[in-house]
Amino acid sequence: MGKAVTDLGAGPPPEILFKLRVRFLNAVREVWGARELVRTLAERDFRVRYKQAVLGFAWTLLTPFALMVVFTIFFKRVANVDTGGVPYPLFAYLGLLPWTFFSTSVSNGGQSLIVNSQLINKVYCPREVFPLASTVVAAVDTAISVLMLCLLFVVTGFLPKPTSVWLPVMLAVQVTFTFGLTLLTSAVVVYFRDLRHVLPILLQLGLFATPVAYSMAVVPENLRVLYSAVNPLAPVIDGYRRTILYGTAPNWELLVPGAITSLFLAVFGYLVFKRLEPGFADYA
Amino acid sequence: MRRGEIRATRVWKRFRADKRRMLLRDQLERVQKKLAHSVDGAGWRWALRDVDVVAQPGESLALVGANGSGKTTMLRLLAKVMYPYAGAVQVNGRVGALIEVRAGIHPDLTGAENVYLYGSLLGVRRREVAKRFDDIVAFAELENAINRQVKFYSSGMQVRLGFAIAAFTEPDVLLVDEVLAVGDATFQQKCLDRMRAVLAQGTTVVFVSHDLQAVESICERAVWLSDGVVQADGRVREVLAGYRRTVEQAAEISGPAFGFMRVVKSELRGPDGGSARSQEPLEVKLVIESPEPREAEIFLGVSEGTATPIFLVGRETLFPAGETEVRCMIPYLPLPRGRFYLWLGVFEQTGDLLPWHPVSQFDVLGPELVETPRGVVRLAPIELASTWEVDSR
Repeated sequence: MGKAVTDLGAGPPPEILFKLRVRFLNAVREVWGARELVRTLAERDFRVRYKQAVLGFAWTLLTPFALMVVFTIFFKRVANVDTGGVPYPLFAYLGLLPWTFFSTSVSNGGQSLIVNSQLINKVYCPREVFPLASTVVAAVDTAISVLMLCLLFVVTGFLPKPTSVWLPVMLAVQVTFTFGLTLLTSAVVVYFRDLRHVLPILLQLGLFATPVAYSMAVVPENLRVLYSAVNPLAPVIDGYRRTILYGTAPNWELLVPGAITSLFLAVFGYLVFKRLEPGFADYA
Repeated sequence: MRRGEIRATRVWKRFRADKRRMLLRDQLERVQKKLAHSVDGAGWRWALRDVDVVAQPGESLALVGANGSGKTTMLRLLAKVMYPYAGAVQVNGRVGALIEVRAGIHPDLTGAENVYLYGSLLGVRRREVAKRFDDIVAFAELENAINRQVKFYSSGMQVRLGFAIAAFTEPDVLLVDEVLAVGDATFQQKCLDRMRAVLAQGTTVVFVSHDLQAVESICERAVWLSDGVVQADGRVREVLAGYRRTVEQAAEISGPAFGFMRVVKSELRGPDGGSARSQEPLEVKLVIESPEPREAEIFLGVSEGTATPIFLVGRETLFPAGETEVRCMIPYLPLPRGRFYLWLGVFEQTGDLLPWHPVSQFDVLGPELVETPRGVVRLAPIELASTWEVDSR
């Protein structure tokens, strides 16, 4: 046999080195096959999160509500943002919802591989399910917060405009961007743990760099396209406000660059994730 | 490839030797070294080198070897949890891995919630888990605790839950790593029974354990890993015999046990002064030197290599100062064909005069040991003559 001649001290002959082939369709099929696992993991996160809290699931509603109150009091009174006749709580809340979805997904998803290292080391499943489950959890959180939004509409007596039908477009960009960055972060954090500590600071910065409390009008006109390309959440939030509150179509000039960035980031994030995947069990 | 087939060929795997150190300082050092063209080989440690592990569907395979020999790493590669550095690992079918039973179990969830969580981690549909739910709970003996949070379980209960889920979700390949050690004896027996049942259903089983008796009772074939290299691959009895032998040799190398007394000479004689024969007399002659007169008990034992003897004989003896010749006659040697080891120790009430250690090895000629039927664990390889009478009525 050929084994006898192999020099064990020298390492394996180069022709048998293991190469991971990334087949996108296979990977998608595998993740689809594991959809029940994603659901179970998301369910687990929910149950665990509120298991010993007195208020339980009420926290999903209370957190965005509290933030909205803070925004309304401080920015409305102190900064006096021009909302163009729209009640400020609605204005702020529409920015807050996508932002909270994004930051919850990235901060929880970014740590998902480390937090679940016990599993990654011992059970096989497509690795994407961990960040994916985090994004799903964030999405459910957001869905619950939307109930809050409905209440706000009732309280303020303001009705969503019919142009709200554009909503899925913004939603698609928002989810693509969020999941792309969640994937990327989760993979990089495994190798570069410092990111875990930098992440909250970056997200805090991001909140101010995104038009959550203020409006797109604050940004100088000639910089808006660049701004939207760098931060796709900006045109997304702007789009929500335009369509739901002001009754106009989204600003395509801004939304398209944002969509391109999001798509690019998602593909890049996925490739990085796949490239780093073989080492997850070794390092996590 | 058929369902349940395992084919891992020429597998290499390495780990960073300085794994935990990811500090900037170390990274800079590494870069500096690379720039200086020195080979970056020192930072890696080989866990597996050119390892082949092959199993047919329905076969039961054991991985044995000392701690750190690469057994668990191999299992992780088979579970697709890790990727090899070189070589190919193919496992066909759904894999149920019990690499650490408590791995998939979340302490904050209840037992029932965990059954579903772990089930879907193993790739089983919720519907199927629901179908087997009662079996799982009954096997784990957790009927009264299944709705309690797992963090309030004892470790034995957690292991039972984990094993039950993995074993009852009908995988094509079941990987079991040294997990049974945590349960009590009754549960261990139950697990072994369950593994046999799973084997009978055609599941391929790969079993890692230091409990060689359990290995022998479950597995037909064994692969012996030593320092990440395959030492032997073959029928379980032969491989285990070889493994036990090295364990013994390692014991000998690690310290030719000299205590207060000293073995000057040891000799084993079968019938007519030849080699030992099964079911024939055996004589052991020893010369022991003692610096002062002592009254102590001398013990002789025969083992398959480890310090655990198959049988033991001993007696109260008076040792005067100087050399003493001790002869022990065994009229009927109940051992089958094979290689065995003679162990010796001299003990006083206050301590060892001569610690328990192997003195010599010897071969026994005679018939092969009777094969055990599937699912029967033989505690010790003892060969007995028997006469049978069968009358039909």
